[in-house]
This record gives sequence, structure tokens and C-alpha cells, in this order.
Amino acid sequence: MSKAYGRVRALVSVSLDIEPGEVLGLLGPNGSGKTTLIRMLTGYLTPSTGRIFVAGHDTVAAATQARRHIGYVPEAVPLYRHMRVREFLAFMARIRGVSRADTPSAVERAAGRTQVAEVLDVPIGTLSRGFRQRVAIAQALVHDPRIVVLDEPTNGLDPRQIIETRRLIQTLAGEHTVIVSSHILAEVEKVATRVAILLRGELLAVRSMAATPDLEALFLSLT
Amino acid sequence: MSALGVLIRKELGATFTSPIAYAVGTVFLVVLGYTFSLTLFFTKVANLTYIFHQIYVLLILLVPVLTMRAFADERRTDTLELLLTAPIREVWIVLAKFAASLALVLALLACSGVYAVILGLYGEPDWGPIYGGYLALVLLAALLIAIGTLTSSLTDNQVVAAAGALGVFLMLWFADSVSYLLPAPLDLVAINLSLIGHFTPFVSGSVFLSDAAYYLTGVVLALFVTTRVLVDR
Repeated sequence: MSKAYGRVRALVSVSLDIEPGEVLGLLGPNGSGKTTLIRMLTGYLTPSTGRIFVAGHDTVAAATQARRHIGYVPEAVPLYRHMRVREFLAFMARIRGVSRADTPSAVERAAGRTQVAEVLDVPIGTLSRGFRQRVAIAQALVHDPRIVVLDEPTNGLDPRQIIETRRLIQTLAGEHTVIVSSHILAEVEKVATRVAILLRGELLAVRSMAATPDLEALFLSLT
Repeated sequence: MSALGVLIRKELGATFTSPIAYAVGTVFLVVLGYTFSLTLFFTKVANLTYIFHQIYVLLILLVPVLTMRAFADERRTDTLELLLTAPIREVWIVLAKFAASLALVLALLACSGVYAVILGLYGEPDWGPIYGGYLALVLLAALLIAIGTLTSSLTDNQVVAAAGALGVFLMLWFADSVSYLLPAPLDLVAINLSLIGHFTPFVSGSVFLSDAAYYLTGVVLALFVTTRVLVDR
């Protein structure tokens, strides 16, 4: 698929299959098209040309069905700061199709997985940056989606929070298909099982991490 | 449908816990109480015509403040991205925001109903214009809120959203005043666009379907365009 804003081409003929259970790292410098690609995958943007299928559903023609399978953490970590964590997670669960009866257990489960259970009744606006990041990941997991998409998940975190977030992403692998974007090479190396390298809107390479012992050399050779 | 209910509850919570709502409510009720008392003491006439026109002006001035946050704040804080990537239809998001703002204005109008009760207790008002006036206010509020929601969907800046809504309201209010400058049939278009032109008959007790249709058509049109703004992001 491609995406253009007028004469500016944000993504150029990107073709990509993502396997169930893998952690795909989208690696590229700022402005390479990672967020545009992610926004098209999640249905926030529509492709200018081409089609995207999520769990077999077209993200434009069957947008609602496709979105049911996705949990998404945007780069800006948007949260309703006036809400308490429990209220926010319950709201996100309900609009993502979790039944009223199942919502409390879904909230508890997501809070447990992301270690925010202790702050469930705390207003989001009073949480630290690290806790807010975990709440954002919890909202992406609350409806138990097949695919979890994280856009620059460690931006703005301190070193300890970065390590915790990476570990959390690693625990998601297998149970969910995870797509992580980052402009930090080490980030992708730590969490991904496969890497897709983007530059100026073009997909330069897709490699298995197991078959790529030196990601830095590969990145330099391609860019 | 249950997701729509969840969205409406969320919007009601955000609306009724917002300091803006209480500031607007306070201004609305204080100004109205003051006007009602003065009018009643000086004219000693049991009608609410003056009050209805006062509410008309207050709604034009206050609705932009109520609706400016609707989408502009969601855009500014990026939470709109969460809503628009959830498996819900864009029109539900629009309807939820519209319903929450309308609920607040209806609550304020209900509070103003105490003046009708007072007139009923101590005088013999003509109830036709009072019922007509309240119907007009509900329709007017719905139209203003729909337009305010639309302007809020076009920007991430609340002040721009409020100024845009106020500008549209004032243009609609005074649309008929420029009609004599326009050639036919544009003069008729201008006259028929007038907010006040479709409001006044209700307040005098004359309820015309054409006036109600003006407001309802405007509501549907504004909400439709707002939905398109979200869909065509």
C-alpha cells in the first residue's frame, strides 16, 4: 500500500505480511513512515492505494471488524487524565466490544499483566510517566486482541521504565502478534523477532532477527 | 448500540464534571434570574417572551464555550486517535458528544422552568407561547450545539472552535438583516436562514412545521458534516 498527502509521499508501495505470534520491529529514523504505516494498520488512516487486511478483514471495507482485533498504543500515549485507571480501562474495554459482565475481569486481567493493579483507583492525571505508559498498554490489551501495536513505546521513559516496558513487550510475544515501532536500533534488537527497515517511506528490508546477527551493520548498509 | 450508550455515559461524565459546565450554568442562571426579577417587578405581566429572547442570546453566547472542547480537546490530547481506532462508528462518537452537550443545556432550560411555575402560581399566563417558547429553545439549542460540535471537529484549538461557532451563530442570527441588499432569490435564502426569524413565531405561540424543520434540518446537516470530517480524516 501507499500513502500520499498531496504531492508528499509518506509511504511508497509497502508490501508486508505479519505472522501470528511474532514481534515485528519497525525500524527507521524519524519521518521514515513508521507512524503512517501503523496508523494505516490500525485504521486511523486509509491507504491512498492498496489494501490492508487484519485477521482477514479489510481495514477500510470492514473497518469495525478489523479494529476488533487490534490493541493500539499511539506514540503520544493519549489517556483521559480526569478518569481513574479502572474507569478508563473499563471504558476502553466496552467500546472495544467486551460485554458489561466481562468488563471487570478484563480490566483486572489487563491491569495484572501490565502491573497497574495497585493504581486502578488512582486518577490517571496524577500518575508518573512510567505508570501512564503501562496504563496505555493495559488499554491496548483489555479486550485481548490478536494484534498489539505499539508506536515508540519507550519514548520519554527513564532507563528503568524502558527495561520494564521492553520486558512487558517480550511477555506479549506468542500470545499476541506484536508490532513495535522505534527509531532506536537497540530497542528493536531487544524485543523483535523480525525487523522491517523503513527509510523515506520505503520498505528497504524485512529480516528475521535470528538471521541478522549484526542489525547495526545491516541498517548502515541499507541507509 | 451498547457502545453508543458507553460513549454517551463517558461524555456525560466529562461534561457534568467540567468546570466550564458549571461556569456556564452559573452565568446562565444568574443572568436569567436577574432579568426575570426585573421584568416581573417592572411590567407585572405574566409572560416569558422577554425571558425567551434573553435565553436565545445567552445560548448564542454560551453554547460555543460548551461545545469548544468536544473534539478540539480530543485532538489536542490525541485521545481522538484512541476513539477512531476502536471498533465503533464515527457517527456514534458525534452523537454521544452532541447528546451530552444537549443534556446540559436541557438541564439549564429545565432550571429556568421555575419562572414558568412562578408565573403559573401567582398569575394567569397564556401557556401557548410558553410551551412554544420552550420548544423553540430546545430546537435552537440542538442546532447551536450541532454547529458548535462541527466547528470543534475542525480544529485542535478550543478558542478557534469557540470563535468559529460564535461567528456562524452571529451570521445566522443576522442573516435576514442583509437580505434587502441581495438580489432575488438570494434575498429569500437569507431570510430563511435567519435564526431569529424561525424563533420568534414559536415565542408568540405560533408553531409552524417549517420553523421546526429549519432547526431539525440544520441539526442533521451539521452532525452529518461532523461525521464526514471524522471519517475523511
